[in-house]
Amino acid sequence: MAVCASLFFKCRRLPSTLLNLRPLVLSLNAQSTRTFCSTKALAARKYTEQHEWVDVQGTIGTVGVTDYAQTALGDVVFAQLPEPDSELNQMDDCGALESVKAASELYCPVSGTVVEKNKDVEETPALINQSPYEQGWLFKIQLSKPEELDALLDEAGYENHLKNTGH
Amino acid sequence: MIPPSQNFHRSVGVWFVGFLQYQTAYHIQKYLANLHSISNSLKEEQLNDGTILMVEHAPVYTTGIRTSNDVESEEKRLKALGAEFYKTNRGGLTTFHGPGQLVVYPVLNLKHFNKSMKWYVCKLEETIIQLCKSFGVEAGRSSNTGVWVKNEKLCAIGVHGSRYITTHGLALNVNTDLSWFSHIVPCGIPDKGVTSLSQVSGKQLTIANVINPFLESFSHEFDCQIKMLPFEVRENIVNHLKNERLINGATEDQLLENKSFIANQL
Repeated sequence: MAVCASLFFKCRRLPSTLLNLRPLVLSLNAQSTRTFCSTKALAARKYTEQHEWVDVQGTIGTVGVTDYAQTALGDVVFAQLPEPDSELNQMDDCGALESVKAASELYCPVSGTVVEKNKDVEETPALINQSPYEQGWLFKIQLSKPEELDALLDEAGYENHLKNTGH
Repeated sequence: MIPPSQNFHRSVGVWFVGFLQYQTAYHIQKYLANLHSISNSLKEEQLNDGTILMVEHAPVYTTGIRTSNDVESEEKRLKALGAEFYKTNRGGLTTFHGPGQLVVYPVLNLKHFNKSMKWYVCKLEETIIQLCKSFGVEAGRSSNTGVWVKNEKLCAIGVHGSRYITTHGLALNVNTDLSWFSHIVPCGIPDKGVTSLSQVSGKQLTIANVINPFLESFSHEFDCQIKMLPFEVRENIVNHLKNERLINGATEDQLLENKSFIANQL
């Protein structure tokens, strides 16, 4: 039930009862929008055996590390992210995350050109621990070979991988 | 080859080199890391589970990945003191290595241990803590990585992990000239000092006193057998360094010399 809040913004003359409902509608809309987005994200999200995830919308993939990875790292104190416009091949070393005086390499899950890095994470690396799938995203990449996604693990495959490799 | 001990199902090779230039030690680590990495991707039992390189450096300051690219003035200042300077890809900030400090570089395949950097660093800390106990010293952890005696750091740790292969490692002050540390903020922590095993134990210790106890502690904490790295492997490494023109004749001789420190099986 996604109520179009934009109609409420556009309509200037509304009966007062409807105007009173506006906050409720906005919050309902936001909730359903959020739910809708994360369901879609789960379906689109792919994983590597090195515990990175990539969530593709169109031709742009957002990359991050999994919850398992952030637990294994400990508190992240520094994120070295790839610069926009860098061209990367699948599995290239593309940066590092530092925790407990340990720098762990990041690997690019798909080939392409980096379009954006997460400046919030550069400033507040703890976001990776707090929200590895949302605010802790690392960089966005314009995919050059979308077919590479077929070889990556889906959610069930990744869960299996964690089980089989004794995690 | 010596049959594996019944108590351990993992085996690690050790190479005590003695004095070695920082960059040469790093080239050796990279070569070993590559070997272990290939062995991983081939999924074959080609190598043991890790190799420990133990060295002593001439005075050198190093920094980690958090250091900005703008280190020219810092580099000049520290080099003027008569030390070398290198920016590295390890975790941690600025530290010092020099005579009287045991530097250990475990190149481990964490796939055969525990695939967590947090676990690895914790185990390195525990190795040193137990080593200190054997010298009658109560050392411990703090909110900052490393091994401490009260508010002074005894052992610094800074590592790097790539595809579950570790490089860099730890630096334990045995009878280091601690005045070298006064020129930096060690590991970026301004209100804490540094100390050495000799200082806190009240004994005149040298690196030679510490090697075997260290390896015993490592073997226990990492649950692995430790054996001397075979001569053929050392020879391969030296040949690789020679081919890449990374070492001179004197270093080559030194690297191939047999060291009698690790006499007994642990």
